Amino acid sequence: MKHKIRVIFARLGLDAHWRGSVIVIRALREAGMEVIYLGNQMPEAIVRAVIQEDPDVVGLSTLSGNQMVLAPMVVEGLRQNGIANMPVVLGGTIPQDDILPLKEKGIAEVFGPGSSLKDIVVFFTRCGCGDIKPGHSLSAELTCGTAQAGKDGCAK
Amino acid sequence: MADNRSEKGSLYRNEALTEIEKAEDGWCKKYPQERERLDEFTTLSGLTVSPLYTPASTPNMDYLQDLGFPGEPPFIRGVYPTMYRGSTWTRRQLAGYGPPEETNKRYRFLLEAGAEGINGVFDYPTLRGYDSDDPVAFGDVGRGGVAVDTIEDMATLFKGIPIDQVSISLVTCQPICNISVQSMFFANAQTRNVPLEHLTGTSQNDFLMETVMSIAPDVSPPRVAFKLSCDAIEFCARNAGRWNPVSFAGYNYREAGCNAFQEIAFVMANALACIEEMLRRGLKIDDFAPRLSFFFSAHNDFFEEICKYRAARRLWSRLIRDRFKPENPRSQALRFHVQTAGVALTAQQPLNNIVRSAYHALSAALGGAQSVHVDGFDEALCTPTELSSLTALRTQQILQLETRITHTIDPLAGSYFMENLTNEMEKRIVGLLEEVDSRGGIVKTVEDGWIHRAISDSAYDYQKAVESGEMPVVGVNCHRLSEEPYKAEIFATPETLAVQEAKLKRLRVERSADQAQKALDDINRCCERDGNLMEVIVESVKARVSEGEISRTIRDFYGKWNPPLF
Repeated sequence: MKHKIRVIFARLGLDAHWRGSVIVIRALREAGMEVIYLGNQMPEAIVRAVIQEDPDVVGLSTLSGNQMVLAPMVVEGLRQNGIANMPVVLGGTIPQDDILPLKEKGIAEVFGPGSSLKDIVVFFTRCGCGDIKPGHSLSAELTCGTAQAGKDGCAK
Repeated sequence: MADNRSEKGSLYRNEALTEIEKAEDGWCKKYPQERERLDEFTTLSGLTVSPLYTPASTPNMDYLQDLGFPGEPPFIRGVYPTMYRGSTWTRRQLAGYGPPEETNKRYRFLLEAGAEGINGVFDYPTLRGYDSDDPVAFGDVGRGGVAVDTIEDMATLFKGIPIDQVSISLVTCQPICNISVQSMFFANAQTRNVPLEHLTGTSQNDFLMETVMSIAPDVSPPRVAFKLSCDAIEFCARNAGRWNPVSFAGYNYREAGCNAFQEIAFVMANALACIEEMLRRGLKIDDFAPRLSFFFSAHNDFFEEICKYRAARRLWSRLIRDRFKPENPRSQALRFHVQTAGVALTAQQPLNNIVRSAYHALSAALGGAQSVHVDGFDEALCTPTELSSLTALRTQQILQLETRITHTIDPLAGSYFMENLTNEMEKRIVGLLEEVDSRGGIVKTVEDGWIHRAISDSAYDYQKAVESGEMPVVGVNCHRLSEEPYKAEIFATPETLAVQEAKLKRLRVERSADQAQKALDDINRCCERDGNLMEVIVESVKARVSEGEISRTIRDFYGKWNPPLF
């Protein structure tokens, strides 16, 4: 890794669930990334933070069901501010049917329930290394719910 | 008989115990450890589990002191003398989404299908004290619960429901929400000529829900959230004696990442602080302690969960007795609601969740819960649909009507393993309670972020165990399928924002501006004199001020707090 990957991470809107976001940022930090955690924020505040902090990648989390309303607003807000190549990654209880529309609106990848931290870290790393741009399709490699950690089945 | 009890009230004679220990030793020596399929067997929260338990596992068990009888201290065998032989636990299914008109329909559907209590959950803006038309609310209006902005919404929500007969739980998690929403419920009852003393139900009203379980900017400072919670407890002790004004939300602590000991220790630390505050306000322990209620999770470790409930009951009984010396034994009885663990459910192969939740509910029943919510099988995906809600309710009805587990009280008592595990859990909970005390008490540990770190550490450990495969999750890290054979229907939240915006707009024109302003001024003055805010707000909401207006008034006075963000 040439530089320390910088991540902005936020929970969308008023969603109250923090467990997933806290676990993910911890895994990202353990993988050597610098993570700025904003807690709950509206899209405009997330965009403002991106402008100020100049991260390599943005992570969003929601379990409230607000993803179709708020997640695309982050991507759109970044575009309006001339930041068109910032990968925005979303995690949470995202129904399968929302994933394609979210990607069409510029979300780089969606990690649903059951995703493995390893996959998430790998993806953020690739984002940080400039491997991933918005609008790419990675679904063949990583699909929501097919965690790699347990590929070989249960521990014993 | 006299012989058996001669050793300090112990169930066993020393001589007999020595013989058993010796024989057990011999058995252990022959035990083929190498044939075990795991290096270590532990409970979900990390206690070591032995291959076998015997009388030597609880050598000092004193039946009368340590177990006793249902309906009597230490209540480990149950808080009521008849338990489920009298009436089975209340089937209290959580419901709420969209505008109040829609949730009212779901309440009626569930009551007609045999639910006995209402468990009303509110949307994210309502829980955080914002109106539906607040600029921060539009993404979340009607999501995760029902939108309630004013007393008119409250009237709509409970229209046609006999609030003097059905017990109503208001999942007003955060005190900033509860102070308004519970006041609206009470004021609406008064409008319907139901005296407050006749209302039975519960409000959640847990200050950790505002300051720890939801790490969000601009929440109430811990001391303020604690005060708001205590205002409701005091108001109910003085005016609504059958209402449970707080439900210490261990369930949510567990969902956020706590292990079983933290779940119980943190709620107890919270509850003990509330008791101290009520005594400081001049109430007597017996005026309010019988109405403090608890809310626990039923997670995957079946035996650990049952022992958790039993240990919590015994410990609470002793803590209250020793610290506050109540005259009424009911003050020592720990009553609790259980929700099956949402965090244990998977988006993969969602029908498997029906099985998981049934085991969770069984542990709640064997652990002596007073009321239960079973999660919908679509919990990891969306708000429950009508089908998943009905299946969850049927899960409870099957347990109650078909399995006959309700025929005797505390059926697992006396098991060498269960009593040993109950004792071990109690020790761990006591240790954590002491740690919170030594760190300056629950409010202090919230202020300095110790509790946030403790919970996130546990959450991370849990996730690492799933990642490594050490903790098998069927369908996620083992026994996966490449194609989902069943696709769960995704609940669609009905249009809420436009409906609520229109109502608020109309209401702000229709209501008397003077009366509304006066109501808000009254709240502000109450803050200035450090009075009980619920006493004032129950009246204020009748002038049709909104929840958002009330919270803004409180926040303007007391300020806001940003929890530690890690």
